[in-house]
Amino acid sequence: MALLVWIIAGIVALVVLIFVYYFNRFATLSNRIENSLSQIDVQLKRRADLIPNLLESVKGYMKHEKTIIKSVTDARKALISARGLPEKVKADQKLEGFLGKLFALAEAYPDLKASTNFLELQRELATTEDRIAYARQYYNDSILSYNDLCRTMPGKTFAQLYGYQAKEHLKITEAERKNVKVSFE
Amino acid sequence: MKRIDFRDQIARNNLKSFFLIASIFAVFVALGYVFSMAFDPSYFFIIMIFSITISLLYIWVGYYNSAKIAIASVGAKKAARHEYKQYHDLVEGISIASGIPKPELYVMHSPQINAFASGRNPKNAVVCVTTGALEKLDKEELRGVLAHELGHVANFDIRYMTIATILVGMIAIASEMFLRSLWFSNGGNNKHPFLIVAGIMLAILAPIIVQLVQLAISRRREYNADASAVKFTRYPKGLIGALKKIQHENYPEKKVSKAIAPLFFSNPLKGFLGTHPPIEKRIEILERM
Repeated sequence: MALLVWIIAGIVALVVLIFVYYFNRFATLSNRIENSLSQIDVQLKRRADLIPNLLESVKGYMKHEKTIIKSVTDARKALISARGLPEKVKADQKLEGFLGKLFALAEAYPDLKASTNFLELQRELATTEDRIAYARQYYNDSILSYNDLCRTMPGKTFAQLYGYQAKEHLKITEAERKNVKVSFE
Repeated sequence: MKRIDFRDQIARNNLKSFFLIASIFAVFVALGYVFSMAFDPSYFFIIMIFSITISLLYIWVGYYNSAKIAIASVGAKKAARHEYKQYHDLVEGISIASGIPKPELYVMHSPQINAFASGRNPKNAVVCVTTGALEKLDKEELRGVLAHELGHVANFDIRYMTIATILVGMIAIASEMFLRSLWFSNGGNNKHPFLIVAGIMLAILAPIIVQLVQLAISRRREYNADASAVKFTRYPKGLIGALKKIQHENYPEKKVSKAIAPLFFSNPLKGFLGTHPPIEKRIEILERM
């Protein structure tokens, strides 16, 4: 009799543990997604913050390149005023394109290329770009592990129980870090 | 050749290392039982309580200071940000990709290409690279090596390795104590000769067995960390390049003690084969990812 009671108590404890485990698992994974989204945001802001300094250091040398400087300024403004992550990422890609052009044009100015301030900013922008790529990749990984849990058994049952649903990937493509590097060495 | 998904690789490795750790623990319990029975059954409880207290204390101290001990034993120095910009930049990027906090960074003086990670969890982790690695590797190769080390951190290998090292040390000490105590025991009275023989055999064999198990764990975890590095960088070629350079250039390091050899990126010692899988094998697996 006593043995039976113990066995039942053991089974109940195990079931409770499983429920708690899945509850926490879902909470952790959705937190991770939130967190990875804000990480992308942080890095985009960092890029936007670096631009004014870059333009300041460039202005003195590149006097005849008004159009490109204006394009970069505008693209930065668009990035800052963009709402929602997909918009921001889009704006950021545009900015990235103009920055690439700016750095290409900078090749023609040896004085500028010798300026340590400029080189330092160029390096900072390159690392920020890496980080944006990594943050997006982490976002994709987080969504993937969350969705895996939602769509496979036994996670699927618990997802329904706790009201979690598989999430859509935001329409941001994984950046191709190799191709878009802003570096001119 | 069949492609290996790095996620499967990680899952499989984790399960295997759990069993390896569990078996080390089982060996330790068996050891304690047989020793106390052989020594004197009437002291069984005293011996067990005494040894458990001491071993817990030992684990506690070792657990919370593992990173400091590892750093101090190779004489590494903290990597200042302004001096090692690229090192810091790369680690920050990979930290974002892996979702773990940035570990403390150290540099050890050595012409060899190598690196290690230690600590008890990602929040208290350290990563250390040799000056040789910083000088000889290009950016992508260094990124691969650092991603491998952060892989050890993110997979909690650093914790496993810390615990495994502590347990191995503990079993070695227990065996030693037992063997020495035999010299002082007054022969005869109520001891069972079979148990004494069994105890002696265990005392000799246990440290060897556990060490083999520890080596197996550490080999597994190298493949595991390689898989994670690819997950973080999405670029196996960097790591492959670094491994190839190591294959051609490295020679044994004198400063590294056997105890922390398993922590390193590539085997730092000569003739101490087994803490790391052969480099060719690692490259082969990476090329399939």
